[in-house]
Amino acid sequence: MEIISDMLVAILQKGGSIKPTHLMYKANLSHNQMKGYLEELEKKNLIARNDNEKEAKEKVSIKITSNGRTFLIKYSEMKEFEKTFGL
Amino acid sequence: MKIVLTPDWFLGFDVLIELFSFIVLVIFLISSIQNYRMNKNKKNFLYIGIGFGLIALAQLATILTKTVLYYDFNLIRQVGQAIITSNFVSSVDIFYYIGFFFYKFLTLVGFYIIYRLHSKRTYLGESLLFGYFILISALLSTEIYYLFHLTCLGILLLIMRNYYGIYKENHFLNTKILLIAFGILSLSQILFIFPNGALQATANIVELISYTLLLFLAIKIGKNGKKKKSDGDNIRYAGGNPSKRRKH
Repeated sequence: MEIISDMLVAILQKGGSIKPTHLMYKANLSHNQMKGYLEELEKKNLIARNDNEKEAKEKVSIKITSNGRTFLIKYSEMKEFEKTFGL
Repeated sequence: MKIVLTPDWFLGFDVLIELFSFIVLVIFLISSIQNYRMNKNKKNFLYIGIGFGLIALAQLATILTKTVLYYDFNLIRQVGQAIITSNFVSSVDIFYYIGFFFYKFLTLVGFYIIYRLHSKRTYLGESLLFGYFILISALLSTEIYYLFHLTCLGILLLIMRNYYGIYKENHFLNTKILLIAFGILSLSQILFIFPNGALQATANIVELISYTLLLFLAIKIGKNGKKKKSDGDNIRYAGGNPSKRRKH
């Protein structure tokens, strides 16, 4: 869950769109790890790949969706709750 | 014997305070369950939700019982008359006793769950013993009314000790607010012990202050969750420094 939030924040910090290599570096993940997580995030509709740029591999960018932004807010609320009650 | 010690001039206000407490507890219940659904590995979200849920149910039990007791509803009157004509007058009292028993029992179990969350080890025998004492004090409270408030005070003090320990470690303002809220709730239990009308009303108001503080905390948790970090555009808890945390 922490990894997912790190990845989404990394995208958000880049203005909502990031290149996969940058994301890999920012979230400190290996190539295989990131591949798995990206598939999971896409399945949950938290991120989306930029369709127009899909053909040129080096230009592919990953965007955070509105679901992704909502997830981050809920995650942050959960952390605040957890810290408050010492859970 | 008087079923409720609240003074006549305060009757009705106490139900409103309990309704307010119920709403605050339901907010914490929903919040806990939402957090648990988000992170099912963290069972403590579920347990604290159950704790708040039981106390909310307890408030509901007392609201319903007092509403029936204070206000003369037609249906109840009919039932009451039917009972009276059948010469079972005491059956009406049994309804109130059952209602208040559930209020006391569920409140104590709810607070006990919140207390147990931070206990390092859980022994089955110890929990059973605690359960037995909770049941006994809820049952005997119909005769010795202050027994419930004494038991509640004891558990609340244990909860406060836990949160004081947590606050000493995290120095987090929210935990401090929580600690103060439980402290005020403990004070209300001390006031409830005395069979004086004015003190009973004061205890209700003190209880209201405590739940108002808890509502403030619930709002603060929601607002802080959405707050942005001072150094960037990401939200408060998400992100951090992944390179320090992750090992390949």
